[in-house]
Amino acid sequence: MNDEATGRADHDEDTTDFGFTRVDRDAKAGMVRGVFDSVASRYDLMNDLMSGGIHRLWKRFTIELSAARPGQTILDIAGGTGDLAAKFSRLVGPEGQVILADINAAMLEVGRDRLIDKGATGNIEVVQADAQALPFADNSVDCITIAFGLRNVTDKDMALRSMLRVLRPGGRLLILEFSKPTSPLLGKVYDQYSFQILPAMGRLIAQDAESYRYLAESIRKHPDQDTLLEMMEDAGFAECRYHNMTGGIVAVHQGFKP
Amino acid sequence: MTQHDPAVLSAALAAAESALNQAIALAPHSHQELNTLSGTLLGVEITSLDLTLYIELLTGTELRLMSHCEREPNAFVRGTLEDFGALATSDDPAATLINSGIELHGSSTSLITLQQVISRMEIDWEAPLVDVLGDVMGHQIAQGLRRFFRWGDGARASLKRQVSEYILEEGRLTPPKAELEHFYDAVQSVAIRVERAQSRVEKLLARAATRGTTQ
Repeated sequence: MNDEATGRADHDEDTTDFGFTRVDRDAKAGMVRGVFDSVASRYDLMNDLMSGGIHRLWKRFTIELSAARPGQTILDIAGGTGDLAAKFSRLVGPEGQVILADINAAMLEVGRDRLIDKGATGNIEVVQADAQALPFADNSVDCITIAFGLRNVTDKDMALRSMLRVLRPGGRLLILEFSKPTSPLLGKVYDQYSFQILPAMGRLIAQDAESYRYLAESIRKHPDQDTLLEMMEDAGFAECRYHNMTGGIVAVHQGFKP
Repeated sequence: MTQHDPAVLSAALAAAESALNQAIALAPHSHQELNTLSGTLLGVEITSLDLTLYIELLTGTELRLMSHCEREPNAFVRGTLEDFGALATSDDPAATLINSGIELHGSSTSLITLQQVISRMEIDWEAPLVDVLGDVMGHQIAQGLRRFFRWGDGARASLKRQVSEYILEEGRLTPPKAELEHFYDAVQSVAIRVERAQSRVEKLLARAATRGTTQ
């Protein structure tokens, strides 16, 4: 059962959230895959339309927080269409490495094609991977980013522990995710937008209202700022903090491996 | 870290960064000079706006603006928006840096060099106009813009001179520079003489006090 106020999952049960619906834990990954298979080809266009292009600004600030520098290894989980990976590729330079990881093959395919089109290929590796069981060596990565991906992971605590294992001591995790608006008024406007306008846009542009309804519902079921902070600390991250953006609609959490 | 919403700040920085990079792209004469500053990181804190930003010169043709940076900047400057405005438009940036309220940490060389490169930057408006409008019309409009900017520079210099002349000569609102300097010299001379007189008086008082005790 979920704690409705915070969105933190109770792992005693065999079911989990899929938007506002309860589904078998084992079935969620496949259902999420179905959603992203459906939206992959128009994912970036929809993101631009849904956020008015603001998602690029949220990502820009996340990249600044990463303090990425030449020679580093950056793992971008749920990197999908590769927009963060392309930016990191320039920052780490030819002596560094960027790993673009996503559980969804369709999203990775779009991302890989886009990176090739941008000429960002030399230092980028594309890997299909589950965030809960990252197929990378312990202490092998300087920075991990996961942008708008954690809410789709079935077992978030397991994913956080997996990320901690892969990070080098002193390495940082950045989680960019939809969160809880700090103003009740903004929250109401945002609810109207999410449940009325968003599915309509999904129907119009991606011919898929249901997938976008799931995206809106999954945002509401995602842990709020303080709960996610607590989850990061419980997983073993140190110096955890978060920055609210656009009135708390989105937050970027940061934590370091001790 | 400032209290501004990072998304709002990112929007402003992204717009400014794009405009600056486009301006640099249109000023090919500055590329070599900017290239010598590659890798330089400048931190700027505008106290009146409670805003800190960082300028990183990536190459001779590209810079990056950030609201957050963990690298130690080559130079970090702190001041009000007015102070930075004065520095940006100054003919003598070193003197402005020393005399203004700007606080500087680190090396001033990169900061002064950047200010000089920016002030010398000549943006070639013709290239993008020709791309969009074609050779003939693009060239005509670029010529018009050049004439307009030349006129603007001349008008600004003329206005500055005339306002200065009016304040000094017509309105007699401020004294001329030479008169003011003469006045400051005279004040300083009086101050020195007063100090001498004071020390003489103190000496005489001390002597009088010694005589009083011996009698």
